[in-house]
Amino acid sequence: MALRIDPEKNEVHALKAMTDWRNKRVIEIGCGNGRLTRRLAYLGAQIIAMDPDRKLIATARKDLPARLSDRVRFKVGSALDLKYPTQTFDIAVFSWVL
Amino acid sequence: MVHALYEAQRVLQPNGILFDLRPAPVHRRIGIQTESGVQEIGAMREDLTDDYVANQAVKQVVREGLFKSEKFTQFNCNRVMDGLQEFQTWLLEFTTLGREHSSGHHWLSERVERAHHAIHGKKKIIVYSPLMLRLLRKLEG
Repeated sequence: MALRIDPEKNEVHALKAMTDWRNKRVIEIGCGNGRLTRRLAYLGAQIIAMDPDRKLIATARKDLPARLSDRVRFKVGSALDLKYPTQTFDIAVFSWVL
Repeated sequence: MVHALYEAQRVLQPNGILFDLRPAPVHRRIGIQTESGVQEIGAMREDLTDDYVANQAVKQVVREGLFKSEKFTQFNCNRVMDGLQEFQTWLLEFTTLGREHSSGHHWLSERVERAHHAIHGKKKIIVYSPLMLRLLRKLEG
């Protein structure tokens, strides 16, 4: 018994088709349990992934494969108050935020 | 919503990219997939108000010259479930997202259950979830 989200990987294929993610500094806002974060990390991005839900961030940290640990940092935070200086990131991803 | 877009614009490099990924303002459809094909069961009745408000927020930052809308695509991000239990759990979680229409989805739950029992052999429940993805390029607004 299982639930699979986007088994065709249409989401990451669409994101990959739109830009080159390799070595890009990315902030993902609304990362949830990190499902998309992991897929973007596999594309070569360096990611700060945020969500206001502490439980989801804890799950995301737990489920992050060790080989991605140098590419991804999960943080609890709000889209309305990003704790980063201006002009820090190459790419921002709003995952179901708006 | 528009304040989140302002904040993203602030932390982006000049010429940086903002991806706006979210459900398309359409109702999800439910089907049961068997070896012979997909039997469509019904469409959800969702409150799409937030989707339209989000579209307006994006239009506002484009109008203000903060971003340029460069690319757009829409695709399915389906949920595939092995059984009724997963579907019921998903439907329960869905009600917490604030997208559920006031009429609820008990009717749909019952319809899926009936169809699932009536169909024999290997089967999966599929929620067809259209997503939209927009690439917004930061401008020096």
